[in-house]
Amino acid sequence: MNNVGSVDDLRGRRALPELQAESFVGDYRSLQLQPGRVTELVGVPGTGLTRLGLKLLAEHSKRSHVVVLDTRGWISPEAAWETGVVPERLVVVRCDDVTLWPKVAAALLEGVRAAYIEVPARVRDRDLRRLTALARARRVAIAMRSTGKGLPIGIAHLRLRAIGVTWEGADRGHGQLRRRRLMLEASGKGAAGVTRRFEVEDEGTDVVRVVSDVVADQARRTVG
Amino acid sequence: MWSLTRPDAPLDEPLLVADDRVTGATDDVLDAGVALGMPRREAEVLVPFATVLPRDVGDETRRFEPIIEAVEDLVPRVEVVSPGLLLVPIAGAVKFYGSEESLAERVAKELDVLTGSRRGGHALIGVADGPFAARWAAATANVGAPMIVDDTIGFLSRLDLGVLREAMGGEEMIGTFRWLGIMTLGDLARLPRDTLASRFGNPGALAHRLASGDDRLVDPRGIPPELKVGMEFEEPLESLDAVGFAGRVLSERLLKGLRETGVAPHTVTIKAGALHGPGRERVWRSSDPFTEKALADRVWWQLRAWVETAGVPGGITSLAIEPSDLSGEGRQLGLLTDESSMIEAERALARAQALLGPDGVVQGRRQGGRMPSERVAWSRWGEPETKVERDPRAPWPGATPSPSPALVPPRLRPIEVEWDGGLPVRMRLGARWEPVLTWSGPWRLSGRWWDGEETADRYQLVTSVGAFLIVVSGDRSFLAAVYD
Repeated sequence: MNNVGSVDDLRGRRALPELQAESFVGDYRSLQLQPGRVTELVGVPGTGLTRLGLKLLAEHSKRSHVVVLDTRGWISPEAAWETGVVPERLVVVRCDDVTLWPKVAAALLEGVRAAYIEVPARVRDRDLRRLTALARARRVAIAMRSTGKGLPIGIAHLRLRAIGVTWEGADRGHGQLRRRRLMLEASGKGAAGVTRRFEVEDEGTDVVRVVSDVVADQARRTVG
Repeated sequence: MWSLTRPDAPLDEPLLVADDRVTGATDDVLDAGVALGMPRREAEVLVPFATVLPRDVGDETRRFEPIIEAVEDLVPRVEVVSPGLLLVPIAGAVKFYGSEESLAERVAKELDVLTGSRRGGHALIGVADGPFAARWAAATANVGAPMIVDDTIGFLSRLDLGVLREAMGGEEMIGTFRWLGIMTLGDLARLPRDTLASRFGNPGALAHRLASGDDRLVDPRGIPPELKVGMEFEEPLESLDAVGFAGRVLSERLLKGLRETGVAPHTVTIKAGALHGPGRERVWRSSDPFTEKALADRVWWQLRAWVETAGVPGGITSLAIEPSDLSGEGRQLGLLTDESSMIEAERALARAQALLGPDGVVQGRRQGGRMPSERVAWSRWGEPETKVERDPRAPWPGATPSPSPALVPPRLRPIEVEWDGGLPVRMRLGARWEPVLTWSGPWRLSGRWWDGEETADRYQLVTSVGAFLIVVSGDRSFLAAVYD
C-alpha cells in the first residue's frame, strides 16, 4: 500500500490520477445534494450550517417542492430565499414530537425529491437507518443535521463538519455583518474517503463560493 | 362571469378579476382584446386602465351556493365545475317538464330572480349533448334566451380552436394547430384521431374527442364501496379550521385508496351530515383527474360555503367523499417540467399534514418589517395564503440587513450577556460563557411608543462559534436570531 501525499502530488504525476482527483473534488465542492445520498452537517448552532443546508436545496427547488423538517420551529425561510430557493416551492414541516418524527420523515421521503432534515437527539439509530434506506430507494437528496451527538456511522455519504467561522463587516460597534467565511471539513465516501478542508464564503446572496481548498489531510488515504 | 358579482367590485369601472389567469372581465375590457383564461400579466398590459381584483374562489363559492340550490330545486343532481359554471344532466327532467325549451326557460326565470341585478351575474343557459358542448352553447347564448343545440357536432365544428384552452390547456398544441391552418374544431375533427394521438399523445386524442362531440373521457367503472371515504364526529364541527382539516384528511385518504387501484376521479360527491335537519350533498367535477391539492381545495371551498351560509344547522356530524368518473391517472408531461415530482411531493406533504395537523406544514411569504421574525408571513400549506400585513416593497428603514439569520425563534428568548461600560463582553451559550469577539450596534428599534411599546436596541454579537442578533430592552437581553 502506498500513502499518497497531496492533491498537488497527484496532479504532478500522470493524467489518470489527476482526473480522479478532480472528480472527487468536484463531488463535494459543487455543494449539491446527490439523489439517494445523505449529506450530514455537523456543528454547533451559529456556525452557518442551517444556511448551508438550505442553500443545498436551491437547485432542487427549480424542479419541484423542497422540504425543511424543522424540530424547533426556528428555521426562517428568508435565509433560504436569499440563497436561491424558489419561495413558493419551499415548504416547512414542523415536528417537535420525537415519537412522531420518524413517521413524518418517512412520509416526506416517500414523495419529495430533496429535504433539509433536523434530527432530534433522541431518535433511535434503527429509525435513522430505515430512513436512509428509504431515501436511497426513493432517490431523495437529503441534508441532515442532528441536534444531538450526530448521526450514527454508516448513514452519511458525505459529512461536512464546521471547524471554524469568521465574520467580516462588524468592528466594535461599527458596520454590520456582511460576509461569513466558514471552514468545513469534508469526509466520508462523498469525499472519496479523504478528509479535506475547504472554505465557503457567504455574502447573503444566492452565491455561496468555495474559495479555497485549504488543507488536504490524506494521511489515512491508501492506494493498493 | 361569476367573478364579477363580488360585492366589492366597482360598478362603473372597467374590471378585471384574475389569479394567475383572467377569470372575469367586463365588456369594455373584453373589447380591448382580453380573453378569459389569458395570463394575468398579458391582460394587464392590454388594459392598463382596468381595476384588477384578485380572485377569491372560496368567496365565489359561497356566493354561488344559492344559485346551486335554486337549480337543485328544479333538477335534483347537479355538477359544479367551478363557481359560476354548473352542469345539469337533464335527460330525466325533460320528461317531467315536457321539453328542453320549457326546462331551460324555467331555469332561466329562476336564476334571473337571483342574479339579474348583479353585475356579471346574468344566467346564460346552453343545452347540448355533453358537458363541453353545453358549456360553449351557454357561452354563445343571450341573456334570457337559452341556446338549445340540436346538432351538437355541427355546432362544435364552427367553434374556434381556442375553446379547447379552458377544457384542457395545451396552449402550445393549439398554437401548432393554428400554424398548420387548423382554425376550428371542425377542421380538427376531420383529422384522423390516431395521427393526432401519435403526434401529441393523450392531449391530442382528447382534443379530437372534444372536437368530435365525443366528450366523455372517463372510463366508467363500478366504484368499490371501500373507496368511498367518510368520517363521523361525536362533537359536531362548527369551526372552519376543524372542518377544513377534516376535509383535507379525507381527500388525502380517498386519493391514496384510489391510487392503489390505479385510477383517479374526475367527479366527486361531497356529503355533509347536519346535527339539525337534512344533510347536504354536492358534486364537483374537473376535466383533469383530481390531485390531493385540487380535491382538498374543492372540499374546503364547499365546506366553507356551507358553514358560512348556515347550510348545516347545528354543525357537521359526518363528512364523506365519493369518487366517480374514474379514469387512468396518466397524463403526458412536458419534456422539461417535473410535474410528476410536484404531484408526488404534494401527496407526501398531505400525508405529513394528516399526521401533524394543519399547522404542522406551513409556507412562508415575504412581508415587511424590521426584525427577522416580522418579515415572514406564515400560512398553512394547501390553504389560501394569509394576507401580508406589511408591504415588503416599502423601504423599512432600520430593518436588520442581509445576510438574514437562518434561525429565528418565534418569540424573543431571554439570554445572558455581560456588559462592561455599555460594551458587550461575553454571552452565555448553554453552560458556557463565550467571549464577544466583535459586534455591531446598537441600532435603535422604536416601536409603537403611542401604544406603550418600549424602545430597544439591537446588537449583532460575534463569538468564536458564530454570530447572534440580540435585543436589549432596559437591562434585559434577548436572543432574536442566530446567524446559523
